[in-house]
Amino acid sequence: MTDQLDEALQREYEAGFVSDIESRTFEPGLDEDVIRRISAMKEEPQWMLDWRLKAFALWQKMPEPDWAHIQYEKMDFQSISYYSAPKSMDDRPKSLDEVDPELLATYEKLGIPLIEQQQLAGIAVDVVFDSVSVVTTFREKLKEQGVIFCPISDAIREHPELVQKYLGSVVSQKDNFFAALNCAVFTDGSFVYIPKGTRCPMELSTYFRINELNTGQFERTLIIADEGSHVSYLEGCTAPQRDENQLHAAVVELICLDNAEIKYSTVQNWYPGDENGKGGIYNFVTKRGICHDSAKISWTQVETGSAVTWKYPSCILKGDNSIGEFYSVALTRGAQQADTGTKMIHLGKNTRSTIISKGISAGKSNNSYRGLVHMGKGAKGARNFTQCDSLLIGDKCGAHTFPYVESRNPTAIVEHEATTSKVSDDQMFLCRQRGLDPEKAVSMIVNGFCKEVFKELPMEFAVEAGKLLEISLEGSVG
Amino acid sequence: MSSWLANTISEAEQVNDWLSPKRAESLALLKNTPWPNRKTEAWRYTPINVIERARFSAANDTDVQITAIENLDSIDLVFIDGIFNLQASTNDFPEGLFITQLSEGQSCEWALDGFKKTKPNKHFFGLINDALATSGCIIDVAANARIERPIRIVQSFTSGSQSHTRILVRVGPSAKVSVVEQLQGDELCFNTSFAEYDIGEAATLEHYRLAMQCQAAISIGGSHFSLAQSAKLTSNLIGFGSQLSRVDMDIIHAGENAISKLNVIYLLDGKELFDLHSSFEHTVANGTSDQNIRCIVADRANAVFNGRIHIHRDAQKILASMNNRNLLMSEDAQVNTKPELEIYADDVRCAHGVTIAEIDEQAMFYLQSRGVSRIDAQVILSFGFINELVDQMPNVAIADWLRPQLRNRFANMEIR
Repeated sequence: MTDQLDEALQREYEAGFVSDIESRTFEPGLDEDVIRRISAMKEEPQWMLDWRLKAFALWQKMPEPDWAHIQYEKMDFQSISYYSAPKSMDDRPKSLDEVDPELLATYEKLGIPLIEQQQLAGIAVDVVFDSVSVVTTFREKLKEQGVIFCPISDAIREHPELVQKYLGSVVSQKDNFFAALNCAVFTDGSFVYIPKGTRCPMELSTYFRINELNTGQFERTLIIADEGSHVSYLEGCTAPQRDENQLHAAVVELICLDNAEIKYSTVQNWYPGDENGKGGIYNFVTKRGICHDSAKISWTQVETGSAVTWKYPSCILKGDNSIGEFYSVALTRGAQQADTGTKMIHLGKNTRSTIISKGISAGKSNNSYRGLVHMGKGAKGARNFTQCDSLLIGDKCGAHTFPYVESRNPTAIVEHEATTSKVSDDQMFLCRQRGLDPEKAVSMIVNGFCKEVFKELPMEFAVEAGKLLEISLEGSVG
Repeated sequence: MSSWLANTISEAEQVNDWLSPKRAESLALLKNTPWPNRKTEAWRYTPINVIERARFSAANDTDVQITAIENLDSIDLVFIDGIFNLQASTNDFPEGLFITQLSEGQSCEWALDGFKKTKPNKHFFGLINDALATSGCIIDVAANARIERPIRIVQSFTSGSQSHTRILVRVGPSAKVSVVEQLQGDELCFNTSFAEYDIGEAATLEHYRLAMQCQAAISIGGSHFSLAQSAKLTSNLIGFGSQLSRVDMDIIHAGENAISKLNVIYLLDGKELFDLHSSFEHTVANGTSDQNIRCIVADRANAVFNGRIHIHRDAQKILASMNNRNLLMSEDAQVNTKPELEIYADDVRCAHGVTIAEIDEQAMFYLQSRGVSRIDAQVILSFGFINELVDQMPNVAIADWLRPQLRNRFANMEIR
C-alpha cells in the first residue's frame, strides 16, 4: 500500500510543461516606476494610474499577514517580475487566426479548445497568459445581447464609466496585503458586464496560465450583473513545473445588483510543487462579491493545486432576501498547504447562506477550513447553514477547522457542523467485497464525499474536477 | 507598555520564595509579550482595557459571608482576597488527603515540578499569575485514596481588591476525589485564579468551577488538567459573566484510554461578558473527550467561546466531540464563537457543532396555547435548555443548590 502511495506522491504534474514562447518581461523589482510602466503599456487613463499608485503607497505600509495555518518562506517582492507578455502580442491579434500557433498548441495540450469547435460546447473563453489576455472568443456574439466580455485592460479604455464605478468597490485598495499589491500591479484579467434582465446566452470562461520564470501573476476580474440578469462564469488555471515558488495574487470582485445571479466556478490546478514542497505556486487570492436585494452569488471551487493556498471567496449579503452559497472541495497531497474557506456577512433581512466545504488531505499535507459567518444587527430572520467535513488519507497529514461565528441578531439562525474522519474500514470492506480494488474504492468513496459540491459545478467542469480528483488520489490508499 | 503592566512587573520582581526559578521564567516571557488587544487572537472579542483604568489595592481586611452550598458536606478552604481564612476553613482532613498552603510549598517535594506543569505558557494573565501568585494551596491525594467529602475551595473578593491565587492538585493513582472551585464577589475587583490538576493513572476527578462573580468584578482564570493513563475527569463550569470574566479550561490527555467530559453553562445579563476558552489536547492514542457548552445571553451581554480539539500526530483512535448551543434573548445581545479542530491523525472521529438562535416560536406557541404566559414559557424553555446539563452533574447537592440560583437569574434577566 505504501508503495502505491509513494508512487502517487511522485506522480508528475500533467500541466507542468513550459511553452517556448518569446516573451517580453520586465526585469524583477517593484517601485513606482514599474507601476507607471505597466500603466503606460496598457495605455491607461490617468485616473487608473493614480488609483494604482495609491494602492502601492498603502501596500508599502502593510505587514504581510501571518494568521493563516500555513508555513512558507516569505517572498522577496523585489525579485519578482511584475509584467510578462508573449512578444508577438505587441500588436494584438484580431482573431484566433493571428494567434501564435505555439500558444494555441499550449492550450490544446491543456485541453482548452479555443477554436470554433468550442461553439458546440457553448463556452466563451478569455485566456490570460502571464500578464496579458491573449484572446477572447465570441466577443461579437455576446455583444448582440449587450453582454460585455473582454480583458479588463480593454474595459478600462472602452468602458471607463463602469470600471471607475465598480473597481475596488468590493475589494478596496487597503483590503489586505495581497489585494493591495494586486491593486497596484494587476496586469490583466476578465471584465464582464451583463445588462439588465439579460440571461447570458453561454457560459463564460477564463483560463490562466503562468509561463515565464520568476514572474508573478496578478490578474483582476470584475463581474457586474445588472438588475435581473444571470451569468455563469468558469475559471481554470495551470502553471509549468518550476523549482522556484511563484506568486499568484489575484482579486475577483462580483457585483450582483437587485435580483441578479452570478455563479462563479473555479477549478484550481496550479503547479503544487514536488513531494518535498519544492517549487509550486503561492496562491494568495481575494475573492468577494456583494449581493443587493434578492440577488444571489454562488461560489463553487475545486482546489487541487498550488503549494500554498490562501483563499476565502466571500459574500456580502447587503440586500434583503439575498443569498450566498459556497461549495468547496479542497484536496491537498504531498507537501501542499491549504487555508481556505469563506466569509458570509449577513447585513440585510432574510438573507440566507449555505456553506458546504469538503477537505481531503493526503500525504503530509495540511488542509484547513477557515470561515466566518457574521449575522449583523439588521439581519432579521437570516439563516446560515454550514457543514465542513474533512477526510484524512494517511497518518502524516492534517485537517483543521477554524470557523468564526458571530451573531448580533436573535432572530437569525446559525447552524454549524463539522466532522473529521478517515475512509472507514466498513466502507472499504463493502466496496472490496463487491470486487472493487482499493484504489477504485477510495476514489469512489471520495467522489461520494464530494458529491454535494460537484453537483453544483457546470457539467464540463464537474467532469474535469472528478477526473482531477481521481488522478490526484491514485494510489493514496494507506 | 501600560503603567499597570509596568507596576505589575516591578511588583513581581520583588517576589522571592521557593517558586522563584519558575516565576523568573514566566516573568521573562511576560516582558516579551505585548499587551493583548483586539488583534490578539486569544483576546479578539474581549477588551481588557478596564484593567488598566481601575485602581486596586492588595487586600481588604473585612469580614465576608461565605455562600454555603446546602446539604453539601464539604472540606472547605476559604480565601478572602487571596488570603487564607483559617476560621472559615475545615482543619481536619480525612486519611490520604494532604493540604498545604502555597507559601509553605517547599515542604512538598513534587510541588515545584507540578507548578506550571499543565498550565500552558500562552496565557498572558497566566504568566502574571505565575509571577505573582503567593497565596493558594497545594492538595495531594494519596494513591488509592477515596475522598468522599468534596473539597470546596471558596474564593471571595471584596471591593477594590487585587489578588492572584494558585491551586495545585495532585490526584494519586487510582484515587478518587471531587474538587469545587467557587468564586464569589460582585464588587469591582481584579483577580487571577489558576488551578492545575495532575490526575494520576486510573484516578478519577470530579471537578466544578462555579465562576459566579457578577457585575463589576474582573475575573481571569483557568483550570488545567493533565490526565494519565485511564484517568477520568468530569468537569462542570458555571459562568455568570461580569464586567470581564475569562476562563480557560485546558484538558491534556497525556496517557492512553483517558476519558474527559466538560459541561459548561453560562447565563449572561446586562452588559456582562463571559469568555470561555477550552482546549482538549490529545497527545496520545486512544482517548475520549466530550464537551457541551450551553449559553443563554440576554440584554446587551456578550458571550465568547473558543473551543479547540487538538489531536497530535499518531494519536490514533480518538473520539472527540464538541457541542456549543447558544440562545439569544435580546436584540442587543451577541454571541461570538469559534469551535476549532486541529487534527494530525487519520484514524479518529471528531465532530463539532454550533447553533445560535432564539427560542423556538413553535415551542412557545405550544406552551402559550396551553395557557402558560409568554414569560413563563420562556423561563420553562430556556431552563429546560440548560437543565439537561445540570441533571448530568454527579453531585446531587450541588445540582439542587444550583437550580434555584439559575432560575433566579432567569427571573431577573432582561428578556426583550
